[in-house]
Amino acid sequence: MGTIIVMTSGKGGVGKTTSSAAFATGLASRGFKTVVIDFDVGLRNLDLVMGCERRVVFDFINVINGEAKLHQALIKDKRVENLHILPTSQTRDKDALTKEGVERVLDELKKEFDYIVCDSPAGIERGALMALYFADHAIIVTNPEVSSVRDSDRILGVLNSKSRRAERGEEPVTQQLLLTRYDPERVEKGEMLKVDDVLEILAIDLLGVIPESQAVLRASNIGMPVILDIQSNAGQAYGDAVGRFLGEEIEHRFTKVEKKGLFSRFLRRSA
Amino acid sequence: MSIFSFFRSAPKPSAVQAKERLQIVMAHERIGRTGPDYLPVLQQELLSVIAKYIDIDQNKVEVKLDRGGDCSTLEVNIELPIPENGSKDAKPSVLKASVSRPANSGKKEPEPAKPSSALVNGGLKKRS
Repeated sequence: MGTIIVMTSGKGGVGKTTSSAAFATGLASRGFKTVVIDFDVGLRNLDLVMGCERRVVFDFINVINGEAKLHQALIKDKRVENLHILPTSQTRDKDALTKEGVERVLDELKKEFDYIVCDSPAGIERGALMALYFADHAIIVTNPEVSSVRDSDRILGVLNSKSRRAERGEEPVTQQLLLTRYDPERVEKGEMLKVDDVLEILAIDLLGVIPESQAVLRASNIGMPVILDIQSNAGQAYGDAVGRFLGEEIEHRFTKVEKKGLFSRFLRRSA
Repeated sequence: MSIFSFFRSAPKPSAVQAKERLQIVMAHERIGRTGPDYLPVLQQELLSVIAKYIDIDQNKVEVKLDRGGDCSTLEVNIELPIPENGSKDAKPSVLKASVSRPANSGKKEPEPAKPSSALVNGGLKKRS
């Protein structure tokens, strides 16, 4: 039986889709059969970030409505074995996500896949609720910035009260923090919240810290999950986060200002 | 940089201010989440009780809410109308009530605030 992971945040633009794409790719690279689903009905973007936008024929909503079979809508990734993408509709709205429909599709996916990564839309309305409702694990994507931290706290409250596990009084959804766009230099100057500050405020476990990196935009430009850019800090940080998620003990990297040697200072190379 | 700036204490880094602001606002929001936030209801009920006895002009009701780090205060100031048979130089009196509630800043799941101990001060105060 597959495990459902929701990538959520409350606030928009913090890196949910980037993280979903990276995380799913990371899990698949390690040999797990993985599918990543776009829950942002009407504003689909996971297909672009995964680089499969030209191969979308049927989508998640078609499957919910019985207009297509699940295997017709699943897109197999061309780079990584074991990785599938389930895009969403660009023309319908979030009301198309019925609880029964989503449950049926997820149940079917659970039989075939080890991990199901749900890429949540922003907000706390229907789309976001449906993305987190059936989750076993939640990864909270947060930027070290006041509005993002507050919204993350709000979404933690929603997970604790409105998820299926909460409603049934089962073991709660596990919650882990993925702190993205972290800039150690600004933290050192006192201009940005520290990892520890955010952890203290949200009081959840730390899954990983993704440094601010030009590699993220570069990767999305070409439709490649940034985790495949193994030269970049961000790609390596996502790789570490996937390892930690699977229970490996990996020390956190890229949270301190790197001491630049004379040579690299000359070159001024950025990751 | 002037020589005096040496003696002045350095301003708090913005990240420290961000953390403090977040801790305060989220402590309040978490209380609202764990139990019903009684402040808005309390305010309505207070007004309706007073309205039973006194004809209140809604424009002369002032409600202030201050969410502090240690406690929050709801202050309701109601200007009472001048009695019609009163003397000419009578000034409007003001009914003032304030309710404070301790805030559990920093705690993840605070106990719901006890309404019984919340009323710190209140009463009728006449402006002379």
